[in-house]
Amino acid sequence: MVFSLPVILLLTVPLLKMTTGPSPAMLWETLGDKDVLLAIARSLGLSLTAGILAFVLGTPLSYLLARKAFPGKKIIEGIVDLPVMIPHPVVGIAILSLAGRTHPFGRFLSGMGIEIMGTRTGIVTVLVFVGIPFYVNAVKAGFESVPVRLEYASRTLGAGTFETFRRVTLPLTWRHMVLGIIMCTARAISEFGAVVIVAYHPMTAPVMIYERFTAYGLKYSQPVAVWLILLSLGLFILLRMMSRSAVQYHR
Amino acid sequence: MIRLDNINLTFPGFAIKNIDLTIREKDFFALIGPTGSGKSVILEIIMGLIPFSSGRLLFNGKDMGQTPVEKRHLALVYQDFALFPHLSVAHNILYGIRYHGIKKNEGHKRLDDLANTLGLKRILDRKPHNLSGGEKQRVALARALILNPAVLLLDEPLSALDPEFHGEAKNLLKQIHQDMGMTIVMVSHNFGDVMYLANRGAVIHQGRIRQTGDITTLFEKPDSLFTARFVGMKNIMPARVLQGNVRIEGSDAVIETSMVPDIDQGYMGIRPEEIILLSQKADTAENCANRFCGTITRVASQGMFVEVHVQSGSLNFEAAWPRRYLRDFQIASGRDATIAFSPQSVHIFQD
Repeated sequence: MVFSLPVILLLTVPLLKMTTGPSPAMLWETLGDKDVLLAIARSLGLSLTAGILAFVLGTPLSYLLARKAFPGKKIIEGIVDLPVMIPHPVVGIAILSLAGRTHPFGRFLSGMGIEIMGTRTGIVTVLVFVGIPFYVNAVKAGFESVPVRLEYASRTLGAGTFETFRRVTLPLTWRHMVLGIIMCTARAISEFGAVVIVAYHPMTAPVMIYERFTAYGLKYSQPVAVWLILLSLGLFILLRMMSRSAVQYHR
Repeated sequence: MIRLDNINLTFPGFAIKNIDLTIREKDFFALIGPTGSGKSVILEIIMGLIPFSSGRLLFNGKDMGQTPVEKRHLALVYQDFALFPHLSVAHNILYGIRYHGIKKNEGHKRLDDLANTLGLKRILDRKPHNLSGGEKQRVALARALILNPAVLLLDEPLSALDPEFHGEAKNLLKQIHQDMGMTIVMVSHNFGDVMYLANRGAVIHQGRIRQTGDITTLFEKPDSLFTARFVGMKNIMPARVLQGNVRIEGSDAVIETSMVPDIDQGYMGIRPEEIILLSQKADTAENCANRFCGTITRVASQGMFVEVHVQSGSLNFEAAWPRRYLRDFQIASGRDATIAFSPQSVHIFQD
């Protein structure tokens, strides 16, 4: 117990100091600031979009990684984990170099009416990039926890592959998918480094905190940060509750 | 009914080779072999869960090799029963009806009938994790039987059960085979279960069929050292066959056999229960075939019977006798004994 204290203190003391820093009046006043509300709503909305996109794009990959053995599987797993390791401004620079107007691919996207730089599309792209490992790994673990024999049993009873997924695999893994979406969304909410390079505007909450800190100082940026922390805390408590019920379900 | 024609399959580190099998209608066919011999793989090949690399799989003369699992109209019951944990017992049993054109009313009627036959009435609303091993097995059987499959495939159906359910489950399988006249293919590593249930079978070892035929023939006339050991043959000794007699390698003993083997060198084996106790003395007076005098070197309890080892010269015989022999004939280590076995009990087989 005593040896666990340093970690708990390291996590709580700075955050507690910051959250108790602004007065309730200041916090309330910040909520009245339209730009703040818009930035937080934008962060939430775009992060949730990234979470849902991770569900759509990441589910087939998670299933493939959980169920199939194929040459190069370890490489694919490594690539999926890459966004966790690389500095996030590098992610922004990588996307910028590909989707910018100087690159043929960027010009192709622009020709199709898809703009990455300085747009919500760009923000969602980087948020999916940084959040997808959390979704894929959570859902892959979910698929792995379903014995393949259950899927085989379903097929021996006459169900095709899609029906087997719908009636057996999905009911046993949807909690992991929700968990994956929450993790990806939570990760996306906190993203700053990649977003600031791809799209300073429209402004997300982390970019706004940075801007207010550099332009006006600590006091002015703190209330926005507090609201963002409270939001993340709520999400992670929800995440822990979900993961606990998923574990109990499989017992 | 089902024919496997020279089926081959290679995994990394393991291969199924030249599998030729014929399973007839209404057979209770056993695929027998030790763990890791490939028998469950053969079952999954029949079901279509594992594709084979060469050969043909025929069902009533029709090539079934490319038919998807769900279109084969076979049913497979796994060793661990593979019940869907999120569905109740009733929903588990009804799972497949929609894919077999069985109407809801008909499905529920069949569910009622099966629940009565298999004693599942009071557990229909329960989830699988609240069931005993025996109940899980009956649910898995009901889930397969409700579809009235052409063939029922059973993967080690008795090995995951507690001893208290073992006998009950064995009787149930026998009853299903007899009453429903269903063709059953069962994988097992327990020859005792196979003897009770199956009429035909194949012994599998390292991905190859070692012997196939009637269960009685497999039991009485194993044709290889592996099969002999697997079906419980003991007293296995290297031997030469000369003019109807068996000469044990490294010994002067000559043993009479009624077998006419087509080999002159191989192994001799005698089932321990075929060895009889002639006398509690080293009795040389009685004159009969295959009689050996010796000393009891080991007596070990094996539950219902005792395993007794008798040393006669350089030969050591293992016999299995009823427990009451300990009391009635004072069987004990160090005592003398005269044993014998009939020429019909002496089996000859090759390596």
